[in-house]
Amino acid sequence: MQCGWSLLGPLQWLRYINREVKVRAGNDEEHRGWLLTVDPVSASVVLVNFRKGGASVQVVMGHAVEEVEVLKEADDETAERLRTTFLPQRTLSLDP
Amino acid sequence: SVSTSAASGADAEELQKEQDARTVLRESFLRCLLSMTSKKVQFHMHEKVKVEATFGASDIDVLNFQVSDLHTPIGVQKEALIRCQDVISFTFDT
Repeated sequence: MQCGWSLLGPLQWLRYINREVKVRAGNDEEHRGWLLTVDPVSASVVLVNFRKGGASVQVVMGHAVEEVEVLKEADDETAERLRTTFLPQRTLSLDP
Repeated sequence: SVSTSAASGADAEELQKEQDARTVLRESFLRCLLSMTSKKVQFHMHEKVKVEATFGASDIDVLNFQVSDLHTPIGVQKEALIRCQDVISFTFDT
């Protein structure tokens, strides 16, 4: 069943970034975490929960998303942690 | 997968904004997939089936995942493709 989430589009999905959200999905699953991104191709939601020395990542497939509820916004520190979660350890510079 | 543009018929500026948003979202998602390579991932499937496997790759449309050592209820499958339509969610630790 295709729900509204898949049809929202990139500009709407962008508004959910860096928000703590609760995602209801098929199978009566419920996931909570910081929304890192939404894949614009599959509408899949990437949630991050920070832990000591790392993070637990949950990806809910777009086709299974039933409802996304915003709980709160990230502060600057959390937003920065989210931004750097999947960046490579060392960014190669092309400048000489 | 999702339709390529919700803003068909909208003006060029709106379309550009949508494309920029799409780029930001997709890059972040691809980095997430990239960091999953060779990691143990738990897949939650329909009927409350949970399986664990080592993640390999995804195709660009996110229709299939290639995994290794898929622990199924009837044994370990050395190499496998998982249909994304059968997956509700998956989790891994960074």
